[in-house]
Amino acid sequence: MSDLLAAAQEEAKPDMTPMIDCVFLMIIFFICIDFKTLEAKLPAYLPKDKGSSSAKVEPQEQLSVAVIVANKGTQLFPGGGGPGLINTQTKRPFRYALQGHSIKWMVGPTTVNNREDLLSQLQRIYNNRDTWQEDKEKPGQKKPMPVVIEPHPGTYYDDAAKTADVVKKAGFTEINFGGGLGPQPGKK
Amino acid sequence: MSELQKAAQTTADMDMTPMIDCVFLLMIFFVLIIDLSQTNLEDLILPKAEYQEPDDTPPENRPVINLLQNGAVYYKGKMQYDPAVHANDYSGILKMLKLIKQTGNLKMKTENLAGRDVELVDDPILLRADKWTEWHYVGEVMKQCSMPEAAFWKIELAMSEKDKEEAILKGKK
Repeated sequence: MSDLLAAAQEEAKPDMTPMIDCVFLMIIFFICIDFKTLEAKLPAYLPKDKGSSSAKVEPQEQLSVAVIVANKGTQLFPGGGGPGLINTQTKRPFRYALQGHSIKWMVGPTTVNNREDLLSQLQRIYNNRDTWQEDKEKPGQKKPMPVVIEPHPGTYYDDAAKTADVVKKAGFTEINFGGGLGPQPGKK
Repeated sequence: MSELQKAAQTTADMDMTPMIDCVFLLMIFFVLIIDLSQTNLEDLILPKAEYQEPDDTPPENRPVINLLQNGAVYYKGKMQYDPAVHANDYSGILKMLKLIKQTGNLKMKTENLAGRDVELVDDPILLRADKWTEWHYVGEVMKQCSMPEAAFWKIELAMSEKDKEEAILKGKK
């Protein structure tokens, strides 16, 4: 009977395998989730009438938001390498980050130096119903005026995208981009 | 002794739990790592979105154009334009857009613009550029999108919920 007792004692030991498996499952799940950063999208519109320049299109009043470089910033290569060098592992050029890069905005004739002021300036315009226009697709109704973002030479995608982000937050729905104003001065 | 015999028989059964666990582990690993929808996406650092909603249910047939920092344009992992090689010749981008329009199974619409019927692509195209890509490269891709041969008028700018660059720069310090 001592054998039976010993067997009963052995059975009383908890089996750790499923718990360890679950822990491993959770570790792998959370590690992989961290790699997958969700992306956000920002809708914008391009002119529909390009190429039909022979026909006259009725001009539309738009709110201009110019993006101007205040400080160019300096290039820093966090992953090593340098300008024009190719990373042999990724087969892509080495990436740089800009440090000290800053921009300012011109909302109509008003200069704005930070994102919070830009948001309040745009919200003030949005809340003024006198700036709203007739909606041609819904007769009798009004809609906020379209906003055209005009990134100046020396600006980056980050500058334009963040501007569009603020414009959208202010409530404007129709965002257009003013065609590239040429490369940065001093570059080919 | 018959109870002991029974006990011995039950312990002789093969325990399937670890094998099933391993299979689940492998399945989760491959599902998360080999995400086929990510093959269109270049490894870029996108600007951080402060206010926009996440793009968690992207349409399956939405074309994705990637722009690297040096202005090179990639579509489905293939380079379509390199400023160092093509300079002001943007015909490669326009050719790519025409091909997407023809083969991308996209929704089209005809609109009358100033007395002329124009056929437009009514589905959006996603532009993914590195946050430090000079704007004029992005502007040039947009310009090609709005050409009558391509006629894309809805674009989406890709942003990120997290600024991955901050983590890289912190790691560097």
